[in-house]
Amino acid sequence: MAGPSPSPHKPRRKAKRAVNAASNLANITALSDVNPVETLVRAPSFPLSALLWPARGFVTEWEVLPLILMGVGLFRWAAGLWGYSGFQKPPMFGDYEAQRHWMEITTQLPISQWYFHDLQWWGLDYPPLTAYHSWLCGKIGSLINPSWFALFSSRGLHDANLKVFMRATVLVSEYLIYIPAVVVFTRRFSRLNGVSTWSSAVALVAILMQPATILIDHVHFQYNTVMLGLVVASMSSLLAGRNLWACVFFVAALGFKQMALYYSFSIFSYLLAICVFPRINISRFVAIAATTAISFALLILPIVVGTLHDVKRGIDARPDLDGPRPPLPLFPQLANYLDTEAFYYPVVEQLVQIVHRIFPFARGLFEDKVANFWCALNVIVKVKKYPAPLLQRASLLATLASILPPNLVLFLRPRKHLLPLAFAATAWGFFLFSYQVHEKSVLLPLMPMTLMLAGNHGLSKQIRAWVGFANILGCWTMFPLLKRVDLAMPYTVLTLLWAYLLGLPPTSISVYAPEETKALSQWVTIFLHAPFYLAMALWHVLELNVVPPADKPDLWTVANVGIGAVGFGLCYIWCLGKLVVDSEIIPKSWFSKKTKLKSQ
Amino acid sequence: MGDIYPSLTQCAIVAAALKILLFPAYKSTDFEVHRNWLAITHSLPLWEWYYDKTSEWTLDYPPFFAYFEWMMSQVAKLVDPAMLKVYNLEYASWQTVYFQRFTVIITELLLVYALQIFVDSSPRSGGGGGSVVSKRAAQAAAISILLSPGLLIIDHIHFQYNGCMYGLLILSLVLGRDKSTLLWSGLAFAALLCMKHIYLYLAPAYFVFLLRAYCLSPRSIFRIQWLNCVKLGFGLTSVFGIAFGPFALRGQISQIFSRLFPFSRGLCHAYWAPNVWAMYSFVDRVLILIAPRLGLPLKEGALTSTTRGLVGDTAFAVLPDVSPRVCFVLTLLFQAIPLARLFMQPTWENFVAGVTLCGFASFLFGWHVHEKAILLVIIPFSLIALRDRRFLGAFRPLAVAGHVSLFPLLFTPAEFPIKTVYTVFWLILFLMVFDRLAPAASRARLFLFDRFSTLYITVSIPLIVYCSLVHGILFGNKYEFLPLMFTSSYSAIGVVGSWVGFMVVYFTS
Repeated sequence: MAGPSPSPHKPRRKAKRAVNAASNLANITALSDVNPVETLVRAPSFPLSALLWPARGFVTEWEVLPLILMGVGLFRWAAGLWGYSGFQKPPMFGDYEAQRHWMEITTQLPISQWYFHDLQWWGLDYPPLTAYHSWLCGKIGSLINPSWFALFSSRGLHDANLKVFMRATVLVSEYLIYIPAVVVFTRRFSRLNGVSTWSSAVALVAILMQPATILIDHVHFQYNTVMLGLVVASMSSLLAGRNLWACVFFVAALGFKQMALYYSFSIFSYLLAICVFPRINISRFVAIAATTAISFALLILPIVVGTLHDVKRGIDARPDLDGPRPPLPLFPQLANYLDTEAFYYPVVEQLVQIVHRIFPFARGLFEDKVANFWCALNVIVKVKKYPAPLLQRASLLATLASILPPNLVLFLRPRKHLLPLAFAATAWGFFLFSYQVHEKSVLLPLMPMTLMLAGNHGLSKQIRAWVGFANILGCWTMFPLLKRVDLAMPYTVLTLLWAYLLGLPPTSISVYAPEETKALSQWVTIFLHAPFYLAMALWHVLELNVVPPADKPDLWTVANVGIGAVGFGLCYIWCLGKLVVDSEIIPKSWFSKKTKLKSQ
Repeated sequence: MGDIYPSLTQCAIVAAALKILLFPAYKSTDFEVHRNWLAITHSLPLWEWYYDKTSEWTLDYPPFFAYFEWMMSQVAKLVDPAMLKVYNLEYASWQTVYFQRFTVIITELLLVYALQIFVDSSPRSGGGGGSVVSKRAAQAAAISILLSPGLLIIDHIHFQYNGCMYGLLILSLVLGRDKSTLLWSGLAFAALLCMKHIYLYLAPAYFVFLLRAYCLSPRSIFRIQWLNCVKLGFGLTSVFGIAFGPFALRGQISQIFSRLFPFSRGLCHAYWAPNVWAMYSFVDRVLILIAPRLGLPLKEGALTSTTRGLVGDTAFAVLPDVSPRVCFVLTLLFQAIPLARLFMQPTWENFVAGVTLCGFASFLFGWHVHEKAILLVIIPFSLIALRDRRFLGAFRPLAVAGHVSLFPLLFTPAEFPIKTVYTVFWLILFLMVFDRLAPAASRARLFLFDRFSTLYITVSIPLIVYCSLVHGILFGNKYEFLPLMFTSSYSAIGVVGSWVGFMVVYFTS
C-alpha cells in the first residue's frame, strides 16, 4: 500500500520555497508531496507507523477507522480459536465455566436466588451489572441452544459451538463498549494535546492491539474490557466536560466489576477538585453526588424489586435451607436493629449478601502468586505468619500512602491531560499494595498507562519505552497463568507482535537509541529497563529448559513475581514522577535541576 | 524520495502473526493428505511412492512435490516421528499441526522473495499511458498478493502449499521481464509444472512467449536463434529428467500419469466452481422448472443428479450434455485468441496478460475445475491490474467474485468471521488503495462496464448475508444447495464479466 500519488494539480508554492531557501533548507522541497503537517517526520520510526504510513494523506479518520476495527477484530477472533481457562480441566474448570455458569443461574433462577445459589460451584461474586449482562447473554444463547445453559446439567460443558457463542459475547460486548469508548477517548485526548489525526490513528491501533487485554479476555476468557471500557467512557466524558455522564459510566464500571475501585480515588479527586477550583461550586457538587447516588440506586433496583416480587410470590432466596433464618454474613449486629420479619428485611439480606460476595474479606492477603509488593515481600519474609488483621491494616496503610501523592497532585491540578497518568499511578498503587490482588488485575494500571500513547508526544521514544515496558512486563507476569492452560503460543505471538509494532525489545532497541536533546534521560531509561528485559529473556529460557528443584517447585513463578513486582514499582514511580512534572506543581526551575533523572 | 512504506517484510511479519494464531482453526482433509505424503515419502522407497494405497489420499502430485515433502519429512522426524508412519491415518498431534502449519508459513517466504524481486524490477515511475506499473503501484499489488484472502483461506486454514508455488510462478514471471533471464523463467516454470500439474493451464502462454521472445529473432519470426533453442531444450530436458527420470527408469511413468490425471471425474466439482459450466447448470436447473410450460423434453435420469453434493457425472435435464472434448476445444480456442496477439507483440505486459487469459480460459471452460483454481487468474492479474484504470475496472469484479467463491471451502461457525471479515477488509483496503494508485487510461473507459462492476460489488453484500444467515433461519438445514448455487452463479457472472472486460482491454490497449 504505497502512499497516495502526488497530485499533478498541486500548485507550486513559491512563497514557501522562498522561506525555505532563506532558512537554508532548500532540500525540503523533496518532501513537497507529503502532507505538510507530517513533513517533520520523513520516515516511520517504528513498524506500526510504517503500516499506517499510506494513511497520512487521508483527510478524515473515517477512512481508516473501519479498517482498523476490522483488523484488530481479526486478531481477537483468531486468538479466540485457542483454548480457554479450564478447558477440559475437571473438576472445577475455570473462568470460562464461571462465566457460563452465571449465564446458567441468571437465566434459570429467580433473581433473589442469584447470589445464594450453590456458592461452592462458581457462586456469583461480581456486582449486579455482571449478573444482568450474564442474563442477557444467557437469554440470547438459550435461543440458539437451550442445553448450553440448562440448570445443573450444563456444568462443565465444552461444546464447540458454545465456545464460539461465548467468544462472540466477549467480542460483541467489547465492540459495544470498550472499542467505541477507546475510539472516542483517543480522538478527544489527541485533540486536547494537539496531536495529528494520523498519529492518533497509530495510537489507537497500539492501544487496541495491547496484548494483555486480548490474552485475558479473548483467550483466557473474561469480560474485563466491559469494565475497562466503561472507565474509559467515564474518562472520556471528563475530557468532554460531561461530568455527570462520567459519574454514570463510572458507577456502571463499578457495578460490572468491583476492580474499578482502583480508579475511584482518582475520579473522586478530580471531581472534587473541579467543584473546589477555581471557586467552590456547590451546585456542581450536589449534582455529581446526586447523579452518583441515583446511578447506584438504578443499578440495584432490579435486584431490590425482584427480591420483593419473589417474596410476594413466596419464593425463598435460599430454598435449600430449613429452619430459622441464618444471621447476616456481614455486620451480624445489624440484625439487632432490624425486624427480621419486616417486608424490607429480605432486601437488606440480599444487599448484605451481595457485598459479602463481592468483597471477600475473609480471604488472605494474596491468593496465588501475583507480582505485587506483598507477594514479593513474602519471598524474603514469610508475611502470612502475621495475624490477618495486622496485615489488613498494613495493606490499607501502604495502599493509602501510595495513592495519596498522585491524587493530591490531581486534586491540586485538575487538568484533563493529567487524567491517564493519575489513573495509572493510582491503579499501580492499588495493584502493588492492596489486599487480595489477582495477577489479571495488572490490566487496570496498564489501561490508562497505554492510553498515554494518544497524548502529547505519546509516540515519542520515551513514552513508548515506558508504556511498552509496563505492557510487556505485565504480559510476562501473566505467563504462568496462561502456561497452565497451554496458551504459551498465543502469548508469544501477541506479545512479540505488539513489541514489534511499537519497535520495542526484544524485537528492536530503537526506542533506546540516543537522542541529542534528551541523552541523559535516555541513558537512565536504558539503565532501568535493560536488566528487566534480560531477566525476562533469561527466565523464559530457564523456565523452558530447567526443571526447578523438587523442594522449590514454584521457583520460576516466585522469580517471576519478584522481578515483576520491582518492575511494576518502577512503573509506579515513573507515572508519579511524570505526573508531578507534567502538572507543573513544582516550579520548573526547581525541578529541572532535581528531577531530571526521573523523566525528561 | 525514500523507500515506500510499509515494506513487504513488515506486512509479512504481521500477517505471519495472524497465521500462527490460526493454527487451531479448522483444517480440511488436505491436512491429512499432506501428512500422508510426508509419511509415504519418508518411510517408503522412491519406487513405491506412486503405488502406495494405504490411505485413500494417494500421492497425486508430480515428483518435485514429492521431493519437497521428502525434504520436509527430514525435519518432521525431529518434531514427531509418529506422523511419518504410513499406517498412522488421521494422525494429528499438536506437534504435527504446529509442524505442518509452520511449513506453510516458512515455504511461503518464497512468495515474499518473488514479490520483492517483482517490486525491485518495477521502474520508479510508470510509463506514459499506463504501459508499465510504477514501483509504488507494484508495491501495493505485491502486498495485495501477499495478504490475499485466497491464500489465507486455502493455505492457512483449509491447508495447502499454494503460497510457495505461486511464489515460484511469480519468480518465473518476473524472470521473464529481462532478456538475460528468459531461460531461467522457462526453467522455473518447468520446475513449477513438476510440482503441481495444474499450472499446465498456463503453459500455452509460456510456450508462445518463450518461442517468440527467446527462440525466434526479435526482428523476424523466420530467423531461429538456434543456440537459445538448444539451451532451452537442454534445460527443460534436465528439469523433467530430474523429476521423472528416476521413475522412468523403472517404467512407472504410466502409473504416475494415471495418478495425475484421473479422467473419471465429472464436468463440475461437487460445489460448482464459478465458471461457464456453473452458469450452464444453473440455466438447466431453471429450465427444469419451466420446461413443462415450454414443452421441452426432460431427461428423467438427470433429475436426481448434480447439486446434491455428490462427485460424479453431471447430467443435464434439458440442455445437451457436455463432453470433455468440448471443454478441451473451447479452452484451447479461448487461449489461442489472446496468444496470437502475444505472439505478435511479445512484451512482458502482454506475457502476463496472456498468462492471465490462459488461466481465465481454462478456469471458465475446463473440465472438473476446482474453485481454488481461481488463484491462477487472480494472482497474475494482480501484477498488471494497476497499469491503468481500465485494467483495474476489469480486475474489480474478479477480486470480489473470486474470493467470495472460496467461502464455501470453510463452513464451520468459528471460521466464519475470519473468512468474511478478512475478505471484506482486504477488498476495502485494496480496492481503495488501487483506486488511488491506478493512473488514468489513455483511452476512454467502458462506461457500461464500470457501472456493471459497481452494481456487481454491491450485490455481494446481500448475497453473503443471505447465504450465511438468512438461509439458515428460513430453511434450517433444508435446501443446502441453494446458497451454494447462488454463490457460484453470482461469482460466475463476476468472473465471466471480468474476463470479457479484460479481453476488451487487452485487445484495445
